[in-house]
Amino acid sequence: MWHLTSESLAFLTSQSGVSLFTLFWFVILFEFPRYTLGFIATLTLAVRSNKWKPYSVDRLSVVIAGHNEEDTIERCVLSLHEQSRPPDEIIAVSDGSTDRMPEKLRELEERGLIDEAHCTQMRGGKSAGVNLAVGRATGDIIVNVDCDCTFDRNALKYIIEPFADPQMAGVAGNIIVRNPKASLVTACQAIEYMISISQGKQAANLTDQMSCVSGAFGAFRSGALERVGGLDSGGGEDLDVTLRLREAGWKAVFAPDAICYTDVPVTLMALTRQRFRWERDAVRLRYRKHRALLNPFSRRFDVIELLHELDFIVFNVLAAIAFPIYLTWLFVTYADFALVILLAAQVGMWTLDLFTFLLAAWMTPKANGLALMPYLLAYSPFYGFLMRMVRVVAYVQEWVFRASYRDPYVPKKVHLARK
Amino acid sequence: MTAVAAENLQTTPRPTAGRRVLVAEDSPITHELLKLLLNQRGHQVDIATDGQQALEALRTRDYDVALLDFHLPKMDGLQVAAALKKSPSGHKLPRLIAITADVGGLLAHEEGCENFDHIIPKPLDIYQVGKLVEEQADIAERQAARTQAAPATPTPVEVGAARPPPSYFEELGYHFIAWPDDLDANRISARGMQATLGDPRFDGILIREPVSADELVTIWHRKALFALPVIDLTGTLGTKADLDGSKLSTHDAEQVKQLICRFQDQRARLHRDILFSENLVEKLLGRVFVSDRPLTAALNPESKSLVSYNTTLSGHLVAREAETLCAQGLLRQEFFDRFYLCPRCDSARMHVREECSKCRSADLVEESYLHHFKCAYQGPESQFRHGDQLICPKCRRELTHFGFDYDRPGSMIVCQACGHAASDPAIGFVCLDCDTHSDSDACPTSDAYSFQLTDDGLGFAEFGNAFLGQAHDVLRFADLPVELIVALNTAAKRYNEEKVPFTLVNISYEKEREITAEHGAREFAQARDLFIDNLRAALQKTDMVVKGQSYDYALLRDIAPQQAKEGLGKLRDAAQATVRFDLGAKLKAFGPEDFS
Repeated sequence: MWHLTSESLAFLTSQSGVSLFTLFWFVILFEFPRYTLGFIATLTLAVRSNKWKPYSVDRLSVVIAGHNEEDTIERCVLSLHEQSRPPDEIIAVSDGSTDRMPEKLRELEERGLIDEAHCTQMRGGKSAGVNLAVGRATGDIIVNVDCDCTFDRNALKYIIEPFADPQMAGVAGNIIVRNPKASLVTACQAIEYMISISQGKQAANLTDQMSCVSGAFGAFRSGALERVGGLDSGGGEDLDVTLRLREAGWKAVFAPDAICYTDVPVTLMALTRQRFRWERDAVRLRYRKHRALLNPFSRRFDVIELLHELDFIVFNVLAAIAFPIYLTWLFVTYADFALVILLAAQVGMWTLDLFTFLLAAWMTPKANGLALMPYLLAYSPFYGFLMRMVRVVAYVQEWVFRASYRDPYVPKKVHLARK
Repeated sequence: MTAVAAENLQTTPRPTAGRRVLVAEDSPITHELLKLLLNQRGHQVDIATDGQQALEALRTRDYDVALLDFHLPKMDGLQVAAALKKSPSGHKLPRLIAITADVGGLLAHEEGCENFDHIIPKPLDIYQVGKLVEEQADIAERQAARTQAAPATPTPVEVGAARPPPSYFEELGYHFIAWPDDLDANRISARGMQATLGDPRFDGILIREPVSADELVTIWHRKALFALPVIDLTGTLGTKADLDGSKLSTHDAEQVKQLICRFQDQRARLHRDILFSENLVEKLLGRVFVSDRPLTAALNPESKSLVSYNTTLSGHLVAREAETLCAQGLLRQEFFDRFYLCPRCDSARMHVREECSKCRSADLVEESYLHHFKCAYQGPESQFRHGDQLICPKCRRELTHFGFDYDRPGSMIVCQACGHAASDPAIGFVCLDCDTHSDSDACPTSDAYSFQLTDDGLGFAEFGNAFLGQAHDVLRFADLPVELIVALNTAAKRYNEEKVPFTLVNISYEKEREITAEHGAREFAQARDLFIDNLRAALQKTDMVVKGQSYDYALLRDIAPQQAKEGLGKLRDAAQATVRFDLGAKLKAFGPEDFS
């Protein structure tokens, strides 16, 4: 064993620059630029202070739509009432719940904790539920939250700050994993959220690339939301509405200090299902519904939009597709020796990840990142191998089988109408 | 007919000066007694020993009150009264009170009892005589004052004289007290007074003019009247009357007869403790017994509590008094209905309505909302509606096929006053009596019950106060469980033959009602079981513990009750030790002598 290792090391160290590229082309093409961009962004952010000033809106509405959320809704509503800038109105919708959520909402309404409660008898999907609530909301700014989220005391105060810009239509809140200790899977997701949301979206802010006001916690200018018609049917409605707002000329940004906490899937199975859904929806939205953004001859084409489209194509799609090719090529060419090369690549990845991780932890102290450090060992392969494989499968499912049109997250009747 | 004045007697202050009273009575014992009594109360008393003496005295002197024995030598009391009224002497006409053991004879007399203002039956209740004399004197004084002030006003005597023609019922040959001729809210005739003495020849109360339940409460202020059936000729009392006479024809004579007979039979069985009771609670019990029907609750919009019973007493009074009777175990309650009460005035007359939870307006409109699947728009139908078409307000597509491109997942209640919407309306109450608005959860509730006599209630009605005393201190053999009777027989035999003593301990639970009300019957039963188990463990193997219906029993062998009594407290504490509630257990020891 030791013999093999030392031999391998000898082999690796004896490589020239060109041959190193031949061995590690995947890492050099797809991983290196990703990290480098991240570092640059972070360093830029570090020297820039928060550009937003406290801003007051006349009327702030919060809308919550959920399906079978009797256990979580009360905690969510209570944390909204604890806000330093409490909402002027809370409208909750039980979307065809079969548990006791309607009774729970009625009770909350009686206690004066929510202003309106609506309960549908048939599930219409998240978009329809939110649209119903948005239609009733009277605020200038509408904050859309998920039932299973709770909020930092200043979350609402910070999420409305960017609206001082009259062109601002959507502000994404920062999402931190509430249950990182639940399993190895949640710990990895905690790191992932910290890097890709807390840090990744801040980086996106720099170049006006923030393309998803997440459904868990996001704020909208009600006039703008109304003009684009609210949420559309189908999954990924948060990405979709953000893209449509941007296309319509509005701005969307990420507010890193507007922090909410949410529970993430605990088992690998549940996580895989969730990611399949996300990736399929992303593909469908970017390359079907919003494919005009990639067409230089379309009126909707815009260089700014092209940037985040390219980012997604290169680092998500191409990387995901190239990865199995790289693996196959490696094993065909080097047989057993491929493992050594992969391990070497992984060592490099760990180093990069550690660096990124420390930066992200420093930028989002609330996430208590340092406590997650030991899980970094698992995170690198988790993200680099597992999630990438999930992506490949999801892309194939969607491109070949249009699987997103059967997603149970959206009611069947809606799928049928959308086809 | 002579009527008693229309003043509320209770509010009259006691007279400051003594009254002049003539007592016409041939029995020296009686007139000495009356004189002593009335003198003690500060009145001046003259005695006449025959009718002529009495008449002379009344014609020559002023008296406030004259007590005339009906049977007097030379001239009876009635003749004295009649003569006095026919030819006034110029002296003041006193209030005339008849004293007699023959109430029936007096009533049947040709001259009529109308000549008297009041009747006192013999044997005399001496305390009542004093009170009555003073009351009558007060009335005389006020009448005199009023006649002077307004001599033109017709006296009650004249009003009473304009009696309406006798109804069909009176021609059936029954004796009725008529409302308002004999009895109204303020006064009572001599006939009415007679009925309050429990005279068995009165058959019922006839309501000739519309009257409210509140006015009829006077029936309950008097004695014995509650035991008469009420026949309502006006048809306005509804179930409160025992018979609606307004709809009866001559063919229904049998129905009247049955009612009257039923009351007569039951009245005869009713113990005089209750018939003559002054206590409303006992009167009510007597009423249930006499009517031979349960106190049945019925909805009645005229009552503030919305409940009335099949008796003339108002619903809330029945409920209040019956509750006392239930607590005593004399009545058993049966759930009738639950009412929401106005938190301000306790009225159950409330207007219930669906209203807006925000502004309390009842101007609500239900709007169903549509869900357009294709674009996920979900909103009220009015936004979609364009003539007979449904057009999505977001994507302008027409909705054509229910279930395929749209559906109606629910509806919302929109307030037209403030615009608030909710999936359910709130429920609110508006009190019809005081106009107060209240939320449903702010309104206290009140349960109404119907009531039935228990066995104890029946016993009390038939045997009076003695029954209560007995039931509580003496073992009733019939109540004992069979196995206990068998064991007692054996023990008694051993006692007779070998002089081996035994003690029967009777265990009653004084807190039963309290615990049941607070924690439920099951909790109490469990606690009682545990108590019995503990007791069994504390006793010797040869002893016997038996569960009964209302009481439990322990049969202790080889011990005399005197001896056993000393240990009962300890025994009780041992049995009570692990029981959650204090059962208020009372242990009473009975020996062989008690079963003779």
